[in-house]
Amino acid sequence: MKKQEGLIRSVLYKNLMEDYTPFPLDKKLAVKWAAGLNVPRGGRVIIYTSYMYQMASVFKSYEKYVPTLGSLGKSRILASIGSRFIKPSDEDVERSVKILQNIYRMVSRVKADVGYLYEEEPYSGSLLYELGFLDEFKEYGRKVLQFFREKGVEEIITVDPHTTNTLANLKKYINFDIPFRNYISMIGTVKGSGKFVMHDSCLYSRFLDMYDTVRDKAKSAGIELIEDPTVTGKGVGFCCGGPVGPLNDELSNNIARARAAALKSVYENVLVACPLCYVNLEPYCNVRDLAEVIE
Amino acid sequence: MNWVELISMVSAGNYNEVESILREYPYIVELADHLREQKMKVIENLGTYVDITMRNVEKLGGHAYLAKNKDDARKIAGEIVGENKTVVFSKTNAAYEVGLREYLESRHNEVWETDLGEYLVQISKGWPTHIVAPALDMTREDAAKAVRKIDPSINENSKVEDIVAAVRKFLMTKYVKADVGITGANAVAADSGAIALVENEGNIRIDTVMPQVHISITGIDKIVPTLRDAMDEVMVQAAYAGIYPPTYINVTAGPSSTADIELKRVSPATGPKDFHLILLDDGRMDASQNPDLKEALLCIKCGRCYFSCPIYRILGKDWVSTKSPYNGPTGVMWNYITNKDPWPASYCVHSGGCKEVCPMKINIPEVIKYIKYMGSKNL
Repeated sequence: MKKQEGLIRSVLYKNLMEDYTPFPLDKKLAVKWAAGLNVPRGGRVIIYTSYMYQMASVFKSYEKYVPTLGSLGKSRILASIGSRFIKPSDEDVERSVKILQNIYRMVSRVKADVGYLYEEEPYSGSLLYELGFLDEFKEYGRKVLQFFREKGVEEIITVDPHTTNTLANLKKYINFDIPFRNYISMIGTVKGSGKFVMHDSCLYSRFLDMYDTVRDKAKSAGIELIEDPTVTGKGVGFCCGGPVGPLNDELSNNIARARAAALKSVYENVLVACPLCYVNLEPYCNVRDLAEVIE
Repeated sequence: MNWVELISMVSAGNYNEVESILREYPYIVELADHLREQKMKVIENLGTYVDITMRNVEKLGGHAYLAKNKDDARKIAGEIVGENKTVVFSKTNAAYEVGLREYLESRHNEVWETDLGEYLVQISKGWPTHIVAPALDMTREDAAKAVRKIDPSINENSKVEDIVAAVRKFLMTKYVKADVGITGANAVAADSGAIALVENEGNIRIDTVMPQVHISITGIDKIVPTLRDAMDEVMVQAAYAGIYPPTYINVTAGPSSTADIELKRVSPATGPKDFHLILLDDGRMDASQNPDLKEALLCIKCGRCYFSCPIYRILGKDWVSTKSPYNGPTGVMWNYITNKDPWPASYCVHSGGCKEVCPMKINIPEVIKYIKYMGSKNL
């Protein structure tokens, strides 16, 4: 565990400081969603994906990739080769395209001229924060803030809980002063359907005070949510296992399996609002993302 | 039923029970809020409160000691107990923390845990799984197998009642010959030197009055300003542990005493002739002076955060134990305070349920994040 943590820190820090990404990734896949919509490049207000939906399956398997990433060293050529085999499946890419396009459409209905940084978009640094590498997190956060400033970004719209929580902590630690909002709390009237048990994102519900925000949005769209206080209550609805994945994949999967079993005891279809919750729970239950069932 | 299924069932049960208690006894939440304020006053000025507490214990005719670390605590207790004695223990985490039972046994004393769960752990040569329910991972069959060692009439088909009766019968033979009773303390009142203990089995009541010597060993974090606060703490602890009202609340203020003749208070009377309070530091004083860590000292060890934690619900005692009697989210904090071990924090998935269910409103994920950070500095 200790050795794995040390390796992750060095790989992660090196990649982020050199290239603003946690691992060599195929950016063509990451920006595919925006190309199809003619989203403006850059701008005062941007949608900030932080690669979370696009690369969720890679984040989940970070433990597996770390030794390879570590061995790639500083060679750009090797990193480029790495990005070809460390990538999500076609199916995952298509799913993320649909989700991000839907989020963008919903956001665009209430906010005009929302841009995107495409290949230049920096990763937020969530992994550094969540693994406790606070010195590196602050250092990288300053770099990200400076980058956004140079790009003239004045407002950020986030699409996932990890990035939202990371910006909240950058605000706390380094006075990240660019205003940000999560898409769920800003979109207007949306329509949706289906009956689900909600698996809350830990960060939305217990760190960003959005337990009710997410539920209210789903319910107002017409989605029926089945609740059981011992499974979906704010204090007991626990993690999908994702955050420990980079360190211990088996433990992460065991948590996901237990969580899925608890959710299935309430209802067969599970609703999430986080790309990492989706990839962790998906092997064990029928799961959809909120952005797949509202529009 | 495997561990994950068992703990899921127990967690749901605890959640329902505590919610029901809080609905039925709404004053508990007010007590908890007030208790947090009172405990914070002590944490901010821990050294002074330790002095006041020790002075007041002595004033009652008791003996008070400040043990700086585990070694110190073992030596102090060892000198009081001596050798070749029979010692009955009630469940005490501080004693586990310093390895007191093993130490006393090594000095040729016969030592018995008297809390049923702790007794089962002892005779199984195991380690506590949960801070309030040490034998949480044992099924009826496991308990029967363990108890069969002391009562051959117990077998895998024995009812829970029969297993409990067998333990009761065995422990009664130890109580009557016990020289020393060792307990913890849920709270220690600085203003009076009194300790408060909460329980359901009745073993603590016996441990504290039948042997002629009573030793209480507890952390300095258990000090509260007044006896009223101490009573609040035991009530809040019991409620959030899911058993309210508790069957027994015990207050011990010095050795046994009487004022039946001319209203003059004298000691001893029927109960113990000696009362010793060992206050354990073992990293707590340092923690009280660390702004990132001091909130952990508010913990009243109700064990509710264990149930909300995904890692505990998968790993159980394989997470922090057997390095520490403290497990689960609070155990990560307490293992760091008492053992300077940051590594269990690496597993924390910042699920955040722990802070939601904590009666003391400790921001446990924030404290654990700091511990993770301290660990990362040594990678």
